[in-house]
Amino acid sequence: MPVQDVLNAATLGSIYLLFTLGMALVWGTIGILNFAHGATFMFSAFIAHVVTKQVELPFLPVVAIAVVVGAVMSTLTQLLAFQPILKRSKNQHAAEMRILIGGIGVAAIPLALAQRYTRSSPFGFQSTYDAQVYEFLGLRITTTAVIIIVTGLTIGVALTIWLRRSRQGLALRAIGVDAETSAGMGVNRPALALGTMAVAGGLAGLAGALLTFQLGAIAPETGDILLIKAFAIVVLGGLGSMLGTVLGAYILAAAETFVVVMNWGTWVNAVSFGLIFLILLVRPQGLLGRKEVRRT
Amino acid sequence: MSDWYAMNVVLVQTTLTTLLLALSIQVPLRFGVFSFAGVGAFGIGGYTAAMAMVHGEWTTWPAVLLGMVVAGVCTFALGLVVQRLSGLYMGMATIAFTLIVSVLAVNGGDWTGGPMGLYGAIGEITTTHIVIAVLVVVAALAWTELGGLGRKVDTVREDPELANALGINVNGYRRLSFLVSGLIGGLAGAITTLLRSTITPAEVNFHLVILALTAIVVGGARSWVGALIGAIIFVWLPTFLSFVQEWEKVAYGFIVAAAAIYLPNGVLGVAKDLWHKVRTREERAQVAAALTKES
Amino acid sequence: MVENIAEDVVAETRRDRALLEVNDVAVHFGGVKAVDGITLEMRPGHIYGVLGPNGSGKSTLLGAMTRLTPMTRGSFVFEGNDYTKRPARTVHHMGIARTFQTVRLLDDRSVRDNILLGQDTLSKATRKEADSRVEEVMERVGVTSVARMRPDELSYGMQRRVEFARAIIGRPRLLLLDEPTAGMNSSEREEIGALMKQLLAEGITQFIVEHDVQMMVDTCDYLFAMNFGKLIAEGVPVDVVRHPAVQEAYLGKGAGTHA
Repeated sequence: MPVQDVLNAATLGSIYLLFTLGMALVWGTIGILNFAHGATFMFSAFIAHVVTKQVELPFLPVVAIAVVVGAVMSTLTQLLAFQPILKRSKNQHAAEMRILIGGIGVAAIPLALAQRYTRSSPFGFQSTYDAQVYEFLGLRITTTAVIIIVTGLTIGVALTIWLRRSRQGLALRAIGVDAETSAGMGVNRPALALGTMAVAGGLAGLAGALLTFQLGAIAPETGDILLIKAFAIVVLGGLGSMLGTVLGAYILAAAETFVVVMNWGTWVNAVSFGLIFLILLVRPQGLLGRKEVRRT
Repeated sequence: MSDWYAMNVVLVQTTLTTLLLALSIQVPLRFGVFSFAGVGAFGIGGYTAAMAMVHGEWTTWPAVLLGMVVAGVCTFALGLVVQRLSGLYMGMATIAFTLIVSVLAVNGGDWTGGPMGLYGAIGEITTTHIVIAVLVVVAALAWTELGGLGRKVDTVREDPELANALGINVNGYRRLSFLVSGLIGGLAGAITTLLRSTITPAEVNFHLVILALTAIVVGGARSWVGALIGAIIFVWLPTFLSFVQEWEKVAYGFIVAAAAIYLPNGVLGVAKDLWHKVRTREERAQVAAALTKES
Repeated sequence: MVENIAEDVVAETRRDRALLEVNDVAVHFGGVKAVDGITLEMRPGHIYGVLGPNGSGKSTLLGAMTRLTPMTRGSFVFEGNDYTKRPARTVHHMGIARTFQTVRLLDDRSVRDNILLGQDTLSKATRKEADSRVEEVMERVGVTSVARMRPDELSYGMQRRVEFARAIIGRPRLLLLDEPTAGMNSSEREEIGALMKQLLAEGITQFIVEHDVQMMVDTCDYLFAMNFGKLIAEGVPVDVVRHPAVQEAYLGKGAGTHA
């Protein structure tokens, strides 16, 4: 039995990871906490849903649609909301609150649209893809879950390595450490920021499509719930550390699975809320983080 | 006049309680404190008042007072605990606090009525009562916006290190803002709950944060006047524009985003800037003339 | 009558004591010794200056003196009170005011309000007086015509003057000035220099950190010179400026080029 739980936690953790990676990437490098990330996740899946209602599609095209929609949404948010705010603010600190609020405002729009269209009910895909269930050694696992776990781990590890080794990764991390100095050294912040947001959005879309396949359907509100969990994961893992995000995602998923298994179902969400609180008080930089979280 | 009032009494009351809720978040923001704990205080105040009436058979106003005090104390304690966190992190910690309150409400068994919430907390609250409560709060807040106190608060927000150098007790002010936001939020929650006679965990959620934020952001975060403007806009807009009623949430999202981008100080900020420009027309012309003379 | 006598006695004893003692103060950040054991003394009734190239630790010393920058070791005694462990906000109440290297004013407030901030935390008596004083202070620094305007609508020089006014309105006994004339033209510099001498006559001792050596020689009556966090010379301005270690620090191999 416990091994089954581990598998379930691994699947859950991979979804969390894919969703959180985008948010952590953007936040840890260009310093933007994108509150619309959850809406991006949900709306990407939603558009794919709308498309598949007209035309039944196989697995990959559905995922591709979601990824593209997600990338476009985040790019637009950056172009139309965050960049203008940054331009009109005296400094990054003053912009923080406005970006937060701007993100909240932007997030409300796709949420309301999806709620209207689906009348607030869950929505899924009409796809030719059919998950196959494998049973071995008494364990149950679906192809979807396998895809999710493999994708999650691969992208998580790849992103971590890319950030450490590649030139662009280095540039991104330089911005994260000191925006002004890196600008002075020729790092093209606006272009890099746009690219980062696009990638983050694409990852959100990917997570959205995969979760919808896994659960069969998601609700318009699912994005908001994930947002808070992603925050807990980044806080736990430590801002600025991709490896921390990877660890955080699986630790949170494990903790939540444990709570469910113990039949404390109504407390599941409290795990993430409580974690946020606990870590910020006890060890604000998280497991592997380096960013200064406390004021002097 | 009284016909209009009779038809719109609910909206008037909602405007007042929304104002209080908005103020519970506006006050810390004015002090530069990113705290959304006012919504959690709303929940604590509402539930405490409801529990006092339903389980303890308290009467209306003692219950409201209790709700206010308990919310104030809890929020102040939260403030002590999170005060060292910066900006966004404090924001999210306080959002987490709010959500923890709702989880506790769901799991509170018979005390809190669980997921279904509490019923039967019928308060004897008239609009006049609410108006008086609001007037007291607003008067107190207006007083803090004047003179030296107003200047000091602005400095705490804009430049805490400068505030320190000028002898201002920055941490003390920040802690105070938590207490005040808790008291006001608790008052808002208690009144709202006893007016409606029910409270459910679903009401204490992130959407309440968004509602309060939209009012403040659009109206203007620097002053209680801004919160009032925002509350009026958001409570009355749907009735005036029926198409808005349908696309309410979409419109709200647009307005909030637009305000965050283009009107950082809200409607009130725009008005104040205009007034300033008009008042100082002469001086600014002189400064411009002096500059052109130099060049 | 009695209060006046008591005040005079206190004033006399204060005059004999050192106003500010800086005892073996060090500020280390990580591996950097920004201030490396400075001991100096200031007596009331002088304008002191600190010379030194970029990176010599002058501004850090000022930060430590005002308790905004934590110290690694050392102590400060002001008018006989050791305030080494007190929080930064008490420094202002003791009668020490400062300006900053960059202009730090509230852009959303009028010039008048910004200046009034300088006394908002002082005693009730001081505040009552300040309401009438603000007009006079604005007149002295030359910002009366823009009293209702906002800092971001003013030239840099004017903003600097507003900061100055904010620092003096509370009648501090020691005024710490961090590069007060940076970015000003020579006539503005002269005005500030004259203003400083006037303030001295009114009993405000001053301590300035400056880059403009000429201005320091003209205005100060006692100079300290720093390099690499240490005191390398002190004395009458003309002597200090000619001191070999100081010459080396500014011109020779000792000149610090890092910020």
